[in-house]
Amino acid sequence: MTATTVSTRGPSANMSPGFSTALKAEWTKIRSVRSTWIIIALALVLCIGFSAGTALISGLTFEDWDANAIETFDPVLTSNAGSLFGGILLITFAVTAITAEYSSGMIRTTFINNPRRSQVLAAKAVVVGLIGLAVTAVTIPGMFLVSQPIFGHYGLETASITDRETYRTLLTVILTQGLIYTLIPFSIGWLLRSTASAITISLGFMWLPWMLGPILPEWVNQNVVAYLPDVAANSLSGFTASDAAQYLSQTPAIIVVAVWLLGFILAADIVLNRRDV
Amino acid sequence: MIKATRLTKRYGDTAAVDNLSFEVKPGIVTGFLGPNGAGKTTTMRLILGLDSPDEGSVTVNSKTYRDTPAPMQEVGALIDPSAVHGGRSAYFHLLWQAHSGGLHPSRVDEVLEMVGLADVATKKVGGFSLGMRQRLGIASALLGDPPVLLFDEPVNGLDPEGIRWVRTLMRRFAAEGRTVFLSSHLMSEMEQTADHVVVIGRGRLVADLTMDEIIKRSTQSHVRVVSPRAHDLIPHLQARDAVVTNGIEDQLIVSGLDATSIGAIAFGFGIPLNELSTQRANLETAYMELTSDSVQFRAGSDSTATQELAST
Repeated sequence: MTATTVSTRGPSANMSPGFSTALKAEWTKIRSVRSTWIIIALALVLCIGFSAGTALISGLTFEDWDANAIETFDPVLTSNAGSLFGGILLITFAVTAITAEYSSGMIRTTFINNPRRSQVLAAKAVVVGLIGLAVTAVTIPGMFLVSQPIFGHYGLETASITDRETYRTLLTVILTQGLIYTLIPFSIGWLLRSTASAITISLGFMWLPWMLGPILPEWVNQNVVAYLPDVAANSLSGFTASDAAQYLSQTPAIIVVAVWLLGFILAADIVLNRRDV
Repeated sequence: MIKATRLTKRYGDTAAVDNLSFEVKPGIVTGFLGPNGAGKTTTMRLILGLDSPDEGSVTVNSKTYRDTPAPMQEVGALIDPSAVHGGRSAYFHLLWQAHSGGLHPSRVDEVLEMVGLADVATKKVGGFSLGMRQRLGIASALLGDPPVLLFDEPVNGLDPEGIRWVRTLMRRFAAEGRTVFLSSHLMSEMEQTADHVVVIGRGRLVADLTMDEIIKRSTQSHVRVVSPRAHDLIPHLQARDAVVTNGIEDQLIVSGLDATSIGAIAFGFGIPLNELSTQRANLETAYMELTSDSVQFRAGSDSTATQELAST
């Protein structure tokens, strides 16, 4: 039996699949689910709202502060109070960007359509990271700008966004939080493939060491905690005083953050290529 | 063309797929049959690069799947219709796939039209029935207009109209020269759709034959006998060199004697019959014989002697 050649082929407007098509596919996936937009909206509202609230409370209680509190008051650091919410939301967003595919089983369709696993992971990482940066690019300055007038109204020290050191701090926070709070949980999501465990582990990894800092011995803070990604980012942005136990100077801090980011993504990539889907 | 060569995949100690070699040719519909757990899904996953074989290989159009530059334009697959994100609309579910394959977005509207889901394109997939999700899965497979099509249980959940539509679609694709490989448990449907059949059992190849050949393989036409005293009838039939199988309660399948003879024997011994019908050999019986051990009929413990009746 002779087989007739297939007469119908796809439209000539087909592209050769590559990284740009993978990128387009991942962007379409992310923008077409409501949860993405809800998380972004929540991040904006909660971060800015909470910072405004913190600024208000600072202003209202200012009169009762002791001299030390007044002296160590940092208008930039305090304005950043809402970033905890932003962090939790970004972690949730970044994890579910991948774990939702595993839980629904759509990951199989993803890799049937594009068996180049590293390419898919990289494309998703780019989309998730860029969204993280887009969120922090709005929330960080947003929190700052909403707090300063409130501080000023109550006579607290204020900072100006045109001030070079302030500007540098905000930019560092935008970049580090935008990338750390997305790409590390994202990689954990690929590794663990489960939404609940990946979110839990990510939250713990980000904040538990930093929270336990005060009760840990100094050498642990200096030699272990200081080298964790979120803690190193705090050193970079100037939120950690240079004489604190968790402080890390600029060059080591940059290397630490970069190594954590790349290391996690690389680990996810290696495991992904070795495992069955 | 799909070609498996000594394909083997182990999970722990068991071989889910064991030294499997077969070819799926273009221009015909090839059915993939086997009991649950035989390794059909594993085989399909190996073909699509989701799993890596431990030994052997499987190629599509002479390339391994992971080395195919534009897989969506070469292979269309439906593996699991429920593997969708419920919060996404049908349109966007197909759109991201079109983007992934470098396909023009107009393909999305075309395939939605083809499967009859154009009216619900903007609805979230979470609200779809199984039949609608099945159609969506078929639409996904057709996006790249591929020459090779792989379907795992494509008619599962479809109503009779849908089943007939799929059958017509499969046959049309084969007539266009495409390679069509589909697995199903619906024997009657498979018999009408497939030209060639690959049967596996416990990970191994059991048969790789045309539909005609495989049906011929089963025991020739036999007679179905239902009687309240079926077990009394058996020795009388055996005495006339008949072969009796499948003694489930009061039912017997008899080969070697025609219905008239059986009726006469029963009448002669005063055994009432509730049913006496000639069964044409079909895919289901051929398949059952190939994939299960011959059924041993053992009389109950109140018989004077245990009677073993094996088919040839």
